[in-house]
Amino acid sequence: MKINNPRIWLWLAAAIVVLNGFFPALWIFMTSIKGEAELTRIPITYWPENPTLQNYVQAFREQPLARYFLNSLVVAGFSTLLCVGVASLAAYALARLHVPRRNLILSLLVGVSMFPVASLMVPLYQIFVELGLRNTYLALILPHAALSLPVATLTLVSFFAGIPRDLESAAMVDGSTRLGALWHVVVPLAAPGVFTAAILAFVNSWDEFLLASTLLPAKAMRTLPVGIQLYQGEYVFPWPLISAALVVALVPVALVIAVFQERVVGGLTQGGVKG
Amino acid sequence: MSERALAIWLLLPAGLLLGFVALYPVVRLIYTSFFQFQLTLGPEGSFIGLANYAAAFEDPRFWNALKNTVLIVLITVPGALLVGLLLALLANLPFRVKWPVRLGLLLPWALPLVFVGLIFQWFFDSQYGVVNDWIMRLGGERQFWLFKPDLAFIAICFTIIWKTSSFVALILLAGLQTIPKELYEAAQVDGASRWQSFWRITLPLLTPAILVAMIFRTITAFQTFDIPYAMTKGGPGNATETLAMYVRVTSIENLNFGYGSALAVLLFLLSMVITVIYLRYIRGADD
Repeated sequence: MKINNPRIWLWLAAAIVVLNGFFPALWIFMTSIKGEAELTRIPITYWPENPTLQNYVQAFREQPLARYFLNSLVVAGFSTLLCVGVASLAAYALARLHVPRRNLILSLLVGVSMFPVASLMVPLYQIFVELGLRNTYLALILPHAALSLPVATLTLVSFFAGIPRDLESAAMVDGSTRLGALWHVVVPLAAPGVFTAAILAFVNSWDEFLLASTLLPAKAMRTLPVGIQLYQGEYVFPWPLISAALVVALVPVALVIAVFQERVVGGLTQGGVKG
Repeated sequence: MSERALAIWLLLPAGLLLGFVALYPVVRLIYTSFFQFQLTLGPEGSFIGLANYAAAFEDPRFWNALKNTVLIVLITVPGALLVGLLLALLANLPFRVKWPVRLGLLLPWALPLVFVGLIFQWFFDSQYGVVNDWIMRLGGERQFWLFKPDLAFIAICFTIIWKTSSFVALILLAGLQTIPKELYEAAQVDGASRWQSFWRITLPLLTPAILVAMIFRTITAFQTFDIPYAMTKGGPGNATETLAMYVRVTSIENLNFGYGSALAVLLFLLSMVITVIYLRYIRGADD
């Protein structure tokens, strides 16, 4: 084996990146299939000796994990729909129509996306308490949709801008209205962009903790990050439960990014390269 | 319908949503910050001008939180850039199968911050943690990572760097892929070493992407909340409490909205100063 064989270095490089990215998730999975006796033994074991699904049974039995999962799904799903719907309309206008002060609006969008959530949290708490909406899904769906709106809009503006105008004009000459052209020509071509924006909005909402813990604190309304985080205070040795619950909570996100990885990378880096 | 009217109708829903959830709350936040308003004392507040801000500047816990936040920015932003650059250079090698490396960069980005905090709390567990196991195998001593102020701070910074470096790597990787290969070939013909190519070609051409990643990271680092909250709740004592955490304790847990709002305004101003610099930079790059 030659040391300057480039393929060895390639393998090594790949191993570093893959191990760095996967190790924490892998370790929490390993933790989740060890029994409590094995988890509290020194020295620690690296390969589970008696793999068991007991922690998963407990995670669902002792805590309303299925309910947390449902809450996360409802909030992430509806906020994504709202966000992408609203963003598509705005992005079409910004990319295609004569909008007065277009650059100011784009700058404002970037500015709003930088608002610290911790600052918005204080007035949002007051507002939703006054409206009697705290501990309802709507109290989290609206902020989550708004938080992803700037990024979704900016992503979609560049997608719409990439669709040839001639196609749209041709449809309009053929007798379609502008909205008809939008629906039949622009929407199908923009679908990949809409999809990318939707994935980013979904992951953002699925991950969000600060507003979720402030606006939906009731046990039946908690999302996964809020519910699982609180196990720490409720159990002396919470790791069997936390690890199993984390694996359950990570599966949807892991699936989404595994299936749509190229799209996600494209959506994430778009702003960066152009900026 | 005129084009202008259509444009306004299309922009209206976005404007309403952002107005209700972002712009109105900011106005309300600034307004509340001028009041003595504590739910535990009664439902009404009284106007006290800038007294909440004066109190903040006298409050050692505020300065401690600000110091921790600034330290996190100063340590984790360069840290994430360095690790991210290394990961991007490794990931840019000509692999035949690309998806494992791509997923290796995407997974840390997609993991919720709170979950990363929990997982690394488990890593740094003084009894059963992987980190102590490695240290003891190498002949070192067990460390009480999350129970000693300095060690807890180091553990948190390490975790933040791990979590954020992969996003940096994705941005830098996209930047690396725009550098034409011909440049490296030409440099090689001219007898340049790999090291020289890196300093003379890669780094200068990557500078815009590095700057963008740095600015994004800086803004989000000022807002750090989830990872220290999940790992230490700001402890031991207030050793790892950030500004965002102090805002939350003051307003949501102690229901002191007047003072909490003033703290939140200060956090907001800090973020907006960085954002304005960022927008300036983008505009500068466009010219």
